[in-house]
Parts: sequence; C-alpha cells; structure tokens
Amino acid sequence: MHKFKTLAVGIVAVLGLAGCGGTPGTASPSSSQASGGSSGETLIVYTNSNGEGRGEWLTEKAAAAGFKIEIVGVGGADATNKLIAEKNNPIADVAFGLNNMYFEQVKAGGAIEPYTPSWADEVDSELGDKSDDKAYWPLVKQAILLGYNSEKFSADKAPKDWTDLWTKDEFKDRYERVTGLGTATSQLVVASILTRYRDDSGDLGISDEGWSQIEQYFQHGSPAVPKTDLFARIAGGEVDMGQMPSSIIPEREKTFKVNVDVVKPSVGVPFAVEQVAIVKGTDKKEEARKFIDWFGGAEFQGEWAQKFNSMPVNEGAVTKAKPEVVEFVNSLKQQDIDWIFVQENIGAWVEKIELEYMT
Amino acid sequence: MSGTSVRSMLRSPFVILVGVVLTWFIAAFLVWPNANVLIATFFPDGSFSGRAAEKLLSSDRAMKSLGNSFMLAAALSITVNIVGIFIVLVTHYFRIRGSRILFLGYATTFIYGGIVLAAGYKFIYGEKGIVTVLLAGMFPGMDAGWFSGFFAVLVVMTFATTTNHMLFVANALKGVDFQTIEAARNMGASTWTILRRIVLPMLKPTLFAATILSFLTGLGALSAPQVLGGREFQTITPMILTFTNSPTSRDLAALLAVILGVATILMLAVMTRLEKGGTYFSLSKVSSRLEKQAITNPLANVLMHAAAYLLFAVYTLPVVLIVLFSFADSAAIQTGQLSLSSLTLENYVRVLTQPSGLRPFIISIVYSALAAVITVGGLLFVARLIQKHQNWLTTLFEYLLHIPWILPSALLALGLIISYDHPNPLVGGAVLTGTTVILLIAFVTVKIPFTLRMLKATFTTVNSSLEEAAAIMGARTLYVFRRILLPIVLPTAAAIAALNFNSLLDDYDTAIFLAHPLFQPLGLIIKANTEGAEGVDGVSNTFVYTVLLMVITGLTMYIVYGRARSRAGRTPQELPPLPAAESSLPATVSSAAP
Repeated sequence: MHKFKTLAVGIVAVLGLAGCGGTPGTASPSSSQASGGSSGETLIVYTNSNGEGRGEWLTEKAAAAGFKIEIVGVGGADATNKLIAEKNNPIADVAFGLNNMYFEQVKAGGAIEPYTPSWADEVDSELGDKSDDKAYWPLVKQAILLGYNSEKFSADKAPKDWTDLWTKDEFKDRYERVTGLGTATSQLVVASILTRYRDDSGDLGISDEGWSQIEQYFQHGSPAVPKTDLFARIAGGEVDMGQMPSSIIPEREKTFKVNVDVVKPSVGVPFAVEQVAIVKGTDKKEEARKFIDWFGGAEFQGEWAQKFNSMPVNEGAVTKAKPEVVEFVNSLKQQDIDWIFVQENIGAWVEKIELEYMT
Repeated sequence: MSGTSVRSMLRSPFVILVGVVLTWFIAAFLVWPNANVLIATFFPDGSFSGRAAEKLLSSDRAMKSLGNSFMLAAALSITVNIVGIFIVLVTHYFRIRGSRILFLGYATTFIYGGIVLAAGYKFIYGEKGIVTVLLAGMFPGMDAGWFSGFFAVLVVMTFATTTNHMLFVANALKGVDFQTIEAARNMGASTWTILRRIVLPMLKPTLFAATILSFLTGLGALSAPQVLGGREFQTITPMILTFTNSPTSRDLAALLAVILGVATILMLAVMTRLEKGGTYFSLSKVSSRLEKQAITNPLANVLMHAAAYLLFAVYTLPVVLIVLFSFADSAAIQTGQLSLSSLTLENYVRVLTQPSGLRPFIISIVYSALAAVITVGGLLFVARLIQKHQNWLTTLFEYLLHIPWILPSALLALGLIISYDHPNPLVGGAVLTGTTVILLIAFVTVKIPFTLRMLKATFTTVNSSLEEAAAIMGARTLYVFRRILLPIVLPTAAAIAALNFNSLLDDYDTAIFLAHPLFQPLGLIIKANTEGAEGVDGVSNTFVYTVLLMVITGLTMYIVYGRARSRAGRTPQELPPLPAAESSLPATVSSAAP
C-alpha cells in the first residue's frame, strides 16, 4: 500500500504547489484584481515585442503611469491567429507590435475596432491603416536589410541589390536564405522582391520573371540553420550575407565580432512598421484608450526608443531617440510598396513559395 | 479474454458509469472541437473544396517531404526496436558489468529532447564536432559534413527515442517467468533461442505499443531534420506548422495532418490485430523472478560489453556537452567553440532573475502534474475495460480516443476555442475560453492516446487468474481493481504519468492559444526568451532552460519511477493478501467472463 501513500503524498504536494502558485500572483501588483475606479482595471496586452526585457520594462513604466497591464508574449503569426480565434469572447484588451500585414489580417477577421488616439496627428498616417477605418496605428519602424560581411567585400564589390545574390556568381551560395516563411521579416523580403514584378495577368499578380527571381533566391542560397544566428554563420565563414532587421545589427556585431555593412538598393528597402490597436469587444475600452494614448505618445515612445534603440514613428519622439539610430534610418530610402496589394496576396504567395520553390 | 458481447459487458453498473463519463468526454472534448475546426477548415464557405489536395499533389516539395517523413517513420520503427531491445537486454537481462551506470546513461533520453538534443549531437558529429575533428585527424580525406541527411537524422532520432523501451519494455521483461527460461535451458535451448522463443514473445504487446510510438515520432519529426537533414532530407512537419499559422493555407495543414493521422491509425490497427489472441503473461501459478543471465561465450561477452559501453558514450556525450555549453556565451554555442575558461554563471543568473522568476515554473509544474495524474487515473479504468472486453463498442471507443494523434496541437487548441467561446450545453452552458480550465482540458486530451496505448499494453501482461480467483472469492469489481490490478500496473502507470508530466512542462503550441493571461506557463516564457529576433542571448537561454528542465524532469523520473522500479524489482507480481469475503452477494464481476 506504499504506492497509494506515495501517490497520495504526490497529489497533496501538487495541490500544495498550486497554492504556492497562486500566492505570488495575488501578491504581485500587476495581477491583483481591480478594485473600482477606471484606472484600476488590469489590461491584457498581446504583443510580439516583449523579448529582451521589454515586456517587464513596459509593465513597470505603465504601473508608474497608473496602468495595470499584463503582457502576453506571442509571436506575430500566433498573435494574429489567437486574436482572430478569440473574437467571440475576447481575452485581450490591447494588441501591439504586429506589423501592417498581420494587423490587416486581424482586422479582416473582425477582431480589432477603429480608434483614433490622441497622438494621431503626430504620426504619418500612411504608415498605419490606409483605409478609412483607421483600426491600427503605427508606433515604431525598422528597415529590413540585406547585410554583408564588410571584411569579405568592400562597398564597391558588395551586392547592390537582392537580385545580385543569385545573378552574380560570386554571391551564389554565399548568402543565407530562409527555410520557412513564418516570420514577418522573411515575408517582407519576399514582398519587397515580388512587388517589383507586379503583373495583373501573372500568377497571383506576379509575372513569370518575378517568380523566377524567387525560385533562384531559394535555389542559390544557403539554407538557414535553426538555433544558429546568421551572424554566427558569418563569423564562422559559412556565409557572408543575409536578411536582417536594422535594430539587431550593432549588438550582434559586438557579440560575434564581425563587421556588417548594409546594401542600399536604388529601389529602396522595405520597412516593417509595428502597430497598436484596441481589441474589439473589450469591456475595458475606456482604459484601453487611455493606455494607448499614453503608450503611443511622444513622451513614452521617446523613452522606449532611448532604451531599446528603436526608431519611433511619432515625430515628437524622434528627437528623444538615439541620434545614430535616427541618422541611420533616415539614410535609407524607403521602398515604395503597395501594401494593400501585398496584404491581399501574401498568404497565397507564401503558400506557393512553400509548395513550389523552397527546396 | 478475447471478446465479450456488448450486452454482457453492459450488465455491470461500473462499466456503465465509466462508459457514460467517457462518452461525454469524447463527445465534448475530442469529437466536437475537432469536427468544428475541420469543418471550418475544409468547408470555409459551406461547400467542400478540393483545393488542398490539388495543391499538395502538384507540389514536389510537399510530396518529397511527406515521403521522407514516412521513410523516417518506417525506418525508426525498426531501428528504435533494435537499439531499444538491445539496451533493455543489456541493463535488465544479461549480466553486464556496471549495468546500473549503463542504465543511467541510456536513461538520459527521459529528460531531454527536441532541438537542443539535435544541437548536442551536432556538437559532436557535425562539421566542427569533436568526433569529426578526431576522425579527420586519422583520415585526412574524409568529408567533414559526413553527419547529415537521412542517415544522421535516423541515427539521432533512434538514440533519442528509446525512452519507451527503457521504461515499458524493461518493466514487461520483469514479468517474464524465470522458471520457463530455466526449463528451456535444461532442455538445451541456446541463449538466442530462449530470447527469440520465450522472452521476446512475452514482450510483444509492449513492443507493439512502442513501435507505434516510434512510427508516430518519425512522422512528426521536426527539429532533427531541420538541424541535420540538410537540403536533401527535410520532413513535412515544418510545412504543416507554417500552414497552420496561415489562415489562408490552413486547409493544407489540416489535410497533411490528417494524412499522417490516418497512417498512424492504420499502424495502430495492424498492431492491434497482431497483438490479438496471444497470451502475454506467465501461465505458471508460482512464477519466479527473472535472474540475470551470464553470457557464456567469452567472445560474445566481450562484444556485448563493448557495444554496451559504446552506446553509453553515444547517449551521454551530448548531455555532457549541452550542460557545459549552457555556461558558455551565445557566440561560443553557435560557433561550437568551447573554452573552459569562458564558462560563467551569467546565463543562469539572467534567466533566473527575471521579474517573472519561478512563477512560470510553478504554474507549469502544477498544470502538468494535474494533467498527468488525471489522464493516467482516468484511463486506468478505460484501458482495463478496453483490454478486457473486446467488442465493437470498445473498439470504437479506443479509436475515438486516438483523435488527438490526428491533428497538430495548434489545431486542437483552435478547435477548443471556437467550440467553447460561447455558452455550450456540452459543458453545462459554461464559457471555457479565458478560464484556467481550458488549458488543463487540452493537456489531458493530448496525452490520452499515449497513455491509453501504454496502459493497455500493461494490462495485457497481467495474469487474469489472479483477478478470477479474487472474484470467485467474492471481491467486488472495484476491490479487485484496487487491490489486485492496480498494484501490478502501478509502476508502469507512474512511469507514464512521469513522461506525460515531463512532456507537458515546456508545451508551447497548446498554451499559446489557451493559457489564462494571468497564469502563463513556462513554454511561453521560454519562447519569449529564446526566439526574439532582437536579442543575442536567445540561444544560450535555450540551453539554460533545457538544463533547468532536465533537472526537474530528472527529479520527477527519480521520484516516480526510480523508486517504483526498485520496489517492483523486489517483488514482481506479488500476490496481495486476499480479502475476506466482505459481501454475501455474488460479486458483479465483469471479469468472470471467459
């Protein structure tokens, strides 16, 4: 009968742990229940931009400003699916960090509702929701770049554009290509290449020439290795170049002891713009609005930019961002991409590429 | 044992009670949510579209990856059995020096897996791996990239998935009656003949169950092919995951998952048929404990020892390196260059001093433990009924309980959300989304097929004469179950619970959709700290979390299984003291049927 005792002890222990599990939760200020007053409600915030301590930092700052928030960190695609799946009984109140493409899907799924924040005039409305609904608003932008090892290639020998990678022999098999199109960055790269070959009579709105470019991108690239950073592969000499969001470059150069320069194609580079929106059906709409007004405002966006080296969209915040970041981003020409066209087609493009071109 | 009519089975109130609860559970949590998600996927506008099949058939990549997955599954079903049976024999059947140490080495697969395991093997056999560098020194012409493709994936996955053999086949081996072996030996049978004709046949139900699981593992292979498969050997799972995440392509994901699911169920049907009709317990009334066999042939003895210790090295080296690398910085891990002087505690400090602290660990431990205990506890009755009464009704239930094997967990989670985000009569009009219960329900359901398979295999090896005797003496069904059956299957049940617990600890796919925002389990925190495109510490965090999980899961295995094993080893199939007749009424025994 020892076994029963062991089992019983085990169950008791589990229940005991359950008790302990509850205690820190109720003790921590961020998760204790609201006790009256509009500013006492806990807002549930979904974001894919919580890594590297950003979630904790934001929770702390929000608490100081009088907002109780609970961050739920979810990847971009997961957050999109989760918001749409929960639309009948929404759990989140606010979502931020997703880019236009993701928020456009969420909006089409009927999971966010239009709202004009107090700082609407301080941002370029072209960067957010381009329709009249104005359901999501821009916060931070970053460029998606082709970076190369500057010790291997001088600026004049380096590629001038993505298309050089597979048309010039010296770059073949020297660049890293993605092995899946699940991430926002890789989808933006694909969109940046495909939209140059728009052809309404072509397959999915793209000419044969465009599809052939994508085919060659996959054919001649060195597949990315999971859990191995592109910079680690550059440092090890496996590859010399690949896609990278602008914000990650300085820290990785230091960590992996490599120097990276970026390609500035004549057509420009795609920008990913992180957005914020109110979840449709939230019962804390007023509190959510106040939070967004504070969160996207010049003051807080400036602090955020200062802390995490980001490039704010809010004009008032740009002055508080790091000058080198502002200077670098301003030196890049933004590629003119028809995002509505991209949003309508990206799902089908990803599917076609996954099925036909990714080998 | 084989076949009880439905009518006679339903005479027992106990059976009816279990049946009613089971029917409700299956309807509410297995059939309804998954039917909903499949309908939403395949009939988006109310009409069926054959688009998914068409797209997949015309894709070379999809067909090749699907073929690779099946090839891997088939190959694994064989290789895992070979290696698995070998290590079970070495640790439990033959007299091998240091078998306890060997056991610990082979048992490392209990406590880790996934991408870090594949990375661990790459540290050793990859292009810059220790063994590769060593071999290149001896054979200068060799290809540094030798360890990649199908061969490498098969090797890594074979060694990584012998857990079920080490736990369940070894347990079944202990039930083999030693007297039969001695009798065979007296009649002049060789070691090989005894193994082939006496020992292995007794292990069949457990081996069949382990084979199905190996097949399933092969079909679902994800990280090993990604890390080691190279261009020529990629499997279908990454594609399923990408398509699951894209609303416009979800029908492709569902179709692929259904194809894999149906293949698994077919495999299950074949194995169930093979298993039928055999007697997998000792018929002797006084069975004696298995004694370890000395290998008499000196050459064979040396060879067995050498092979056993070589395997030991293969199993333990990756773990050692993973633990070492967890103290190194991100750059060292990713370039595979380890210098002892650069090892610091920094990674651990960073991970453990996060504001969320130990809370996610505790939440995950509680959820996983509850799910493990509920699944095993509930299915003990169900597995017994299914194994005992073999008729169309129990067969139907058995197959329905395997539904979670058919769909990827993200789709299971989506099904639960769209079915229970409004008051639903199936759960008494409650809304389940946004509650803490819904994740527990998902955890329980995903673990049902594995638990049922293993428990059923275990019940098959229980000698029915014990419970018949008890029943004749007037013991009630529940009493027989509690005092006779349970003590026999408990070591295995505990091992199943421990494995369930371990595998749920770092779950992400289910938790991401179902977790309560104020009770976020570990998987979400791990993801946030390891996947962020922004940070450079992601990879070292992955290693730290892996080692921390190893500690928890290792402890679990020790508490639950290590101790149960030593007890069970002492007194296998011990007859519990028989009860005095407590009731004058004849027992309502479902077990009385032949």
